[in-house]
Order: sequence, then C-alpha cells, then structure tokens
Amino acid sequence: MISTRNIIKNVMTSEGELQILQPISFEVKDGESVAIVGASGSGKSTLLSLLAGLDEVSGGEILLDGEPLHTMDEEARARLRGEKVGFIFQSFMLVQSLTAIENVMLPAEIAGYKDAKARAQDILEQVGLSHRAHHYPNQLSGGEQQRVAIARAFIGQPKILFADEPTGNLDAANSDKIEQLLFQMNKDIGTTLVLVTHDNALAQRCQRQLTMLGGALTETTTASVIAQGA
Amino acid sequence: MGTAYNLAWRLFKHEAKRGELTIILLAIVLSVASVLSLSLFSERLQGALTERSASFMAADSQLRSSQPINPEWLATAREQNLGTAEQVSMRSMAFGDEKMSLVDLRAVNAQYPLKGTIKVATTPFGEATSTAQLPAPGEAWLDSRLFQLLDVSVGDTVYIGDIALTITSVLSEIPDAGFSVFNSDPIVLMRKADLDAANITGPGSRVTYKAYFTGDNHALDAYFNWLRPNLDDEIHRWRAVGDDDSPIGRSVARAGRYFLLASLLAIILAAVSIAVAAQRYSQRHFDPVAIMKTLGASKTTIQRIYALQICFIATVGIFLGVVAGFIIQQVVVIALAGTVDVALDVWYWRPVIIAVLTGVICALLFSLYPLLRLFSVPPLRVLRRDMDAKLSAKSLQFFAAGGAIFCLMWMYSQDLKISAILFASGCALVAGLLLVTLGLIRLGRRLGSGSMGARQLAWARIRRRAMDNSVQLISFSITLLLLLIVLVMRNDMVSQWRAQLPAGTPNYFLINITEQQKPILEKHFNQADVQMSDFYPVVRGRFVAVNDERVNTEVTKEDASRKDEGRDGLGREANLTWSDTLQPGNEITAGTWQGNDATAPKDGIYPVSVEEQIAERLDIFLGDELTFNIGSEVIKARVTSLRKVDWQTMQPNFFFVLSPAAMTAFSPTYITSFHLPTERKAELTNLLQPFPSATLFDVDARINQLRDIVDQVSLAVEFILVLVLAAGALVLIAQVQASMDERQQELAILRTLGARGSLIRLSVVYEFIIIGTVAGFMAALANELSLYLLQTEVFQMEASLHPLYWIIAPVAGAAMVGGLGAVGCWRLLSLNTTALLRKMV
Repeated sequence: MISTRNIIKNVMTSEGELQILQPISFEVKDGESVAIVGASGSGKSTLLSLLAGLDEVSGGEILLDGEPLHTMDEEARARLRGEKVGFIFQSFMLVQSLTAIENVMLPAEIAGYKDAKARAQDILEQVGLSHRAHHYPNQLSGGEQQRVAIARAFIGQPKILFADEPTGNLDAANSDKIEQLLFQMNKDIGTTLVLVTHDNALAQRCQRQLTMLGGALTETTTASVIAQGA
Repeated sequence: MGTAYNLAWRLFKHEAKRGELTIILLAIVLSVASVLSLSLFSERLQGALTERSASFMAADSQLRSSQPINPEWLATAREQNLGTAEQVSMRSMAFGDEKMSLVDLRAVNAQYPLKGTIKVATTPFGEATSTAQLPAPGEAWLDSRLFQLLDVSVGDTVYIGDIALTITSVLSEIPDAGFSVFNSDPIVLMRKADLDAANITGPGSRVTYKAYFTGDNHALDAYFNWLRPNLDDEIHRWRAVGDDDSPIGRSVARAGRYFLLASLLAIILAAVSIAVAAQRYSQRHFDPVAIMKTLGASKTTIQRIYALQICFIATVGIFLGVVAGFIIQQVVVIALAGTVDVALDVWYWRPVIIAVLTGVICALLFSLYPLLRLFSVPPLRVLRRDMDAKLSAKSLQFFAAGGAIFCLMWMYSQDLKISAILFASGCALVAGLLLVTLGLIRLGRRLGSGSMGARQLAWARIRRRAMDNSVQLISFSITLLLLLIVLVMRNDMVSQWRAQLPAGTPNYFLINITEQQKPILEKHFNQADVQMSDFYPVVRGRFVAVNDERVNTEVTKEDASRKDEGRDGLGREANLTWSDTLQPGNEITAGTWQGNDATAPKDGIYPVSVEEQIAERLDIFLGDELTFNIGSEVIKARVTSLRKVDWQTMQPNFFFVLSPAAMTAFSPTYITSFHLPTERKAELTNLLQPFPSATLFDVDARINQLRDIVDQVSLAVEFILVLVLAAGALVLIAQVQASMDERQQELAILRTLGARGSLIRLSVVYEFIIIGTVAGFMAALANELSLYLLQTEVFQMEASLHPLYWIIAPVAGAAMVGGLGAVGCWRLLSLNTTALLRKMV
C-alpha cells in the first residue's frame, strides 16, 4: 500500500538548509496497521505529512497505492487524498461552522458522491452519534468530536487512514472508546492504518511500530516481537 | 459547481446564523449605507441649493447679449420643452414731476421670472410680500429709494423716455438683482412691451438683452450645445446655475465640495472597515480551507466556495446597506424638514449606483488579497497549526487596496485633485505609521521587560503582535484622520462663513452725506441707538488714462463683481476715496501701502492703491501712472500698491484709494453704513427725514437671504458631520471587535494560568490606550497636511494650523480606542475559562 525509498525532507532556516528527515525507506502492506512512535521533535508528524501527501518530499520516492506521490503536484495529491485517504487528527479538525453530519458529509461531497447525506447518516449511526447529527462541534464533547472525525474519515471508505495522535486530546475512558472504534472500523472496512502516537497502549495495538529518533527511522518492530517483549 | 455552491451556501447560512459573518456583513452594510445616505442626502441638498441658486438667477440658465437676441433661438428652446423669459435692461434716466434719477431699468416679458419670486411692499422700505404678478403694460414698480429720489408716491407717474408709466407698487426684490450692494442704481420694473414706446433703445444705447431658460439639465445642456455655434464671445455670455459666482453661489459650491469630501471619506471609511473585516474573515477560514484541502478539495473547488460565499455576503450586505442608507437618509431629511429645503420626493439613481458599486468593488478588491492568502493555506496546517498562508506579497495588498480606493474616489468625485490630496495624505500616513510601529516595537522591547504588571503585559503584547498592531494602528489612524478632516473642515468652513456675516453686519448704506451733515447725522443716529460704521469720503471722478494712454472703460466695483456678466461699463464715473490707513478686509498683495504722508509730492504725482481684480482687468501694473478727471481738475497718481479686497464683507470698498494729499482741494461727500435690525425697519423714514439729500441703499433682504443660505448649509454640513462620525465610530467598534478576537487566545491562556481579570483587563486597556494615543497623534499630523492641501487647493480657503487638535486627537483616540477595548475585553472576560478556551478551538 505504501512504499518509500530514501525519502528526505529539508527545510530552509536562517542558517541555511536543514535536513529534518534522514533517508527513510520502508513499506506498509494492504490492511496493515502501523504506529509511528518517537519522542517529540523526532520527525513523526513530518513523516506522516509526507506519507499522506500533505507535504512534498525533498528527495526520494513514495508510492501510495501504486501512485507516485513524489512526482505529483498539490492538485494531484489533493485528488489522491480525496479518493484514497482518510484522516484523523489530535485536535479533531472539524469545520466549526458546519454541523456534525455536515462535517461527515464533507469529503463525500468533495468527492462528488450523490448519496453523501445518506452515507453520513449511516456512519454517524455506526459511531453512535445519530442523535447529535445536527449539533455544531463546540456543542459536542471531545470524545464526540473525535467520533465525528472518525465517521468523516471512514465515509469515503478510504484505502488508507492516517491518524495523528487520535487520542491525544482525550481522557482515558474516551481514548479507549476511540481506539476500539478505530480498530473496529479498520477491521470492518479493511483499511490500512498509519498512526502517529505517544500512547504506548495504542501503538501496541498496531501490527508494526516504526520508531523515529532525530529524523531517522531507527527501529521497526513487528507485532510478534511486541508480543514477545510483553 | 454544484458541490461548491452547496458548500458555500451551507457555510454562509450557518456562519450567518452563528453570527460569524456579523463583522464583515456590518462592514459592507456600513459602507453602502454611509455612502448611500451621504451621497443621496448631498444630491438632494445640492438639488435644493441649486434650485435656490437658480432663484437668484431667475432661471436655470441665462443668455446675456449686448444685441437683441434672435427670436428663433427662443422659439427653438420652447420647441425643446424649455421654459423661456426675456428681459431688456439698461441704465436710464427716470423722471418724477420735479426730480430725476439714474435708474437700472428692467423691462420684462410676461414669463419673467422663471425661478424665484418678486417681492413688493405697499410703502417704501415697508414689509415685503411675494407676488406672482408683474406690472401691467403702462405700469411700473419702483425701488423704495426712488420714491425718495423722485419725490413720488404709489399712484403717481414716472416718465421714462417718451412714455409715462403709472407707479402701482413698491418693488422690494427681484430674483436677479445681484449681490453688488454698492454703486447699484435703483431698479424700475416695467413691461418689455412698453419699451418701444419709451424710445430709449436707439443706436449707441448700452442695452443688455437677457434670455432666461429653465428645464432639466440634459435638455439645457442639449440646447446649449445646439446654441453654442451661434454665439459670439464678444456679444453673448451663457451662464448656468453652477457658474454662479455670487456669495451664495460660492457658499453652495463650497458646501458641495464639502459633501463630496464627506462622501469620499465615507468611501475610504467603508474600504478600511471592509479591509479589516475581510482580513479577519480570511484568518478565521484558514483551518476550514486546510481541512477541505486535506480531504481532497481541489484549488478550484476552494476558490469557488469562497468566491461564492463572498458573493452571498456582498449581496446581502449591499441589500441591507441600501435599505439602511435609505432609512438613515430619510430620518435626516425628516429631521431637517422645515429647516433646509430638501425635496423628499426627488429620487437620484446616481448615489444608489455609487453605493452599490462601492459595496461591490470594496467587497471584491478588499477581499481579493485576504482570499488569495486563504487559497494559499497549505493542507499541512491540519498538522502544524502554526503554518500560515504561503502568499505574503503585502505589496499586492497595498497596490490592490490603494488602487481600488483611488479609482473609487476618482470615479465618484471626477475630481483628480481632491482624490489625489486625500490619497497622498493617506499614503504619507501609512508610511509614517510603519516607521512609528517599528519605534513602538523597540520601545516595547525595553518597557515590556521586568516584572509582569499590566503595563508590561501591554508593551510586551505590542511588541509580540508587531505586524497585527501595525495594521490596527494604520486602520485606527486612518479612521481618526478621516473624522478629524470632516470635523475640522466643517469648523473652519462654518466659522469662515459666519465671519463674513457677523451679528450686526451693516444692512443699510447711506451715501451723499455732506461734510455739514456728518456730525448731525452721527448725533441723530446715536440718539436713536443705531450703530454706524466709519464715514468714508468720496469724490466722483472719471478714470481717463493709464500712462497717458486714454482708456474708454467704465471703472466701477460693480463691473468687477459682475465681470463674468459681461458688463461693459464704459465711461462711468468711479468713486474715489482717500485714506492713510488700509481699510478692514483689504490686504496689500503687491507694492507698499502709501502711508500717511499728507504732503504733496514734488512731481505732482500722488500715490494710489488699486484693487487687484480691476488692475488685472484694465492691465494696470505697479508703477503705472493713472489720470483721473474730477470735475475740471486733473489728478495724476502712481500705482504704489495693489490690494486684495474681500467683497463679501458687506462694507464700502473702493477700486482706487488715493493718498489724502491728493484730495485736499476737493469737497467730498461721505458714505457710511449702519445696522438696523429688520424688526426696526419702520423707523427708517423718521431716521432719514432730516437728511433728504442722502441716499439710502437697503441690503437687509440680501443679507438675510445670504445668512439664511449660510445657516441652512451649515446645518446640513453638521448633519453630514454627524453621519460621518457615526460611520467612523462603527468602524472603530468593528476594528476593536476584530482585534479582540485576535487577542482571545492570549486572554484564554492568561485566564487559565490564573491571571486576575483586573490585570488582564488593565493590560488590554493599556495596550489600546497606547495604540489609540499614537493613532490619534499620527492622525492629527496627517490631518494638518490634508487640511492644508484641501483648504488651499480645493476649498480656496485660508489654511491654518490646528494645534488644539494635536492634543484633542491623541486624547480622543486613547479614550475611544481604550474605551472600546475595555468593553470588548469585559465581554470576553465575562465568559468562563472553559467557554473562552472553547471559543479558541
């Protein structure tokens, strides 16, 4: 599903060009769940942004479902995201002036689905929020907002879902519910899951962990190793 | 397009419902409403004042000619649905049974006057009433003065040329009598049909033929365009109501320019408020754009969504603005009804079109840069909230916004000068403010350090939010500048108007007072408690040569004041006076005043001071030698100074002022003026009875007309001022509101960290006071520059410094901006911390 070869990321600073990602190569298979872990500033979110096509690589190659992200312009990447990618963010990133159901409908409408509303109602039902469909985000709790975000991420049945600290803003009880929901839907729909997290428990529920340190990928741990370690 | 439309509409609907569009909608409503109400009111007022001006011309347009006017021209005018009237005027002798007098004879046809009214009285100097009648054929109406000069009464006969006319009324006023109060002859009004029988218009007689026209502007313009090829500049002169150079005409024209200025300032205010609101709108949508881009929305989709949303906002805003503007304007007109003649039923489309165009252009051009920034927000912002828009070409904003304002002002005013002055002042202000902001940031670095009191917090915030603060400082300063311009300009203009006609302005002139009568008259008037001005000695003389080259030109003050009326004035005597001091209202513009040397010069050539307009007209220069014939004597005088005379001060003024030494051989008569309240008019007959040889000029009615117009225009100007001030206050509120939102995050953090409400409130108030003070001071500086240019280049007024406003503006700026900041802060701090934090999300 994802294949990277020697991807790097440089940024311009006042002291010149700075490489914030060392050459990174790895692959993620279809339906696999991968957690990117590491300390703050290690480059996790930067890697996620490149994998999701939110930012451009400075070098190397990325194939997303066989499509070369590294050669695409912003418009082509947006189209690819619309067709194949779903997102969940730590700060929920809901459009404040749209209701819950309208937020869920948003990607489906952008993709041009005629049945966006029906799909949104279905999926809100699945995440247990049909009764809150017409509430605005600031009328919902954090957990509810993240469930709306999950519904929005899955409405287009994406091939791959990127999640940035999906439980980072939630308390333990809500975190647990969100994790359950996320992995359940990942399983039901067969979506590949790539998430960035500080939460060990969440990372351990993934089949593989990629550990970042100082902009480099230092370690890849599979589920069996995790299980042995446990 | 369907997706974009649906999303745009949905966003618009929800945001409107949740009050998120209030500021930008309010900005557009405000801009359209203020431009519409101001320009609609000023168009209506201009219409009313123009109508009033027309009444002083007896028509909308006049054709003056020194030869009979071709009747076919009048017939063509009537075919083009214009109203026409005719008048033949000349100076002629009128005879009573025993006395005679030179008169200003006006022979009119039945249609005269087309505008304005004739006023008559039953007794000389009696109370005047309007009449729609004219003297019938065989009758004449005489000026009050003539009853005294000819020793006649109503019912007697007056002889003009070969015709005897019955005096049937006392003529008090005719619309186009003119405002020249001095040297004008008393008027006799008669019918044009009687003129042939009078047999006074033979070859060589100096007759002025006037044709009057009335109709709508387009028809008059079309007629003039048709007529123009037939006119000979030497013979004909076309005069439209806008060409009126009388004091009333000038007051109306100046008021018109003020209204234009106020409307232009309203446009800039509108632009500033929309620019502030659009920037805020754009910043509030950075996240939704980043989300939509992340979810796969193409750039085109985003552009469509927001372009459509701006269209929805602009449409609703413009509609509400037009309604609000119309209501405001109606309220003002109703409030002024009875005081200012403004016709409510007259509808002008131009202000509506201008207001709508202002809304559209401002909404589009001022949201262009914020929208372009919005479109450039990277999707990566969903992960990195600090990611700003990629587009940072601030010069584009300045050029787009500046160009839009300038084009709008130019388009609206069609006056490059006034637009350029305002624009240049604005640019100078912006440049100055950017420098000041840099200074403030440096100052903030020093003052913001140390323990965290409210003042330190304020300075620290000023430093940290340097760019945002500079934008705010500029918008506050421009708003305050515009308010200052409107306020100071109004004060200067109204006070200069009023200064022309202070209370107690002489409303009567008395001439032909003999040396012997002078002390008796003074005593008599003092006893009657009537205040008199100085006595000016006068000798009638004929100006005959310049540098020994003979001239054949009439030289009278009236000629100059009626210069554009094409009055010939050949061979007429001038009033010569002498004085060793410069008269009030006179100013030497070239050479030096002759001083008080009473000795005769050795070469027999005396110094003379000449009024500059007449000097220009007669090609007289400093050092020229002028020759006057006074009776059988010849006086030679050298021009030692040129004087500027304010003819609008209702005082006796003279073209030629000689040195006292030149006139010792002559016995003068005297001129004086006095003020008698209108309600004491009945006392005039008794007052003048002991002085039958003195001649009275009654200018009371003219002064009252002038004062009436000045009062009406001043009142209208004050209402315009109130409208602009209200618009400015709303813009300030919008600006503070917008900036409070930007401060919300910091307030929430400080609140969460346990900062006391009083500390936060005080720090915000300090910050706004600092910004308000600097904005006020900068506005006061820019105000001086703008006013100097406006007053000297546009309003033809005397420019002056306004040091008081250097204190008032910073204090008012600090009070208004600080006060509004305190209210905004209080509103935010009244929310609990959770609600505050939630608002940030």
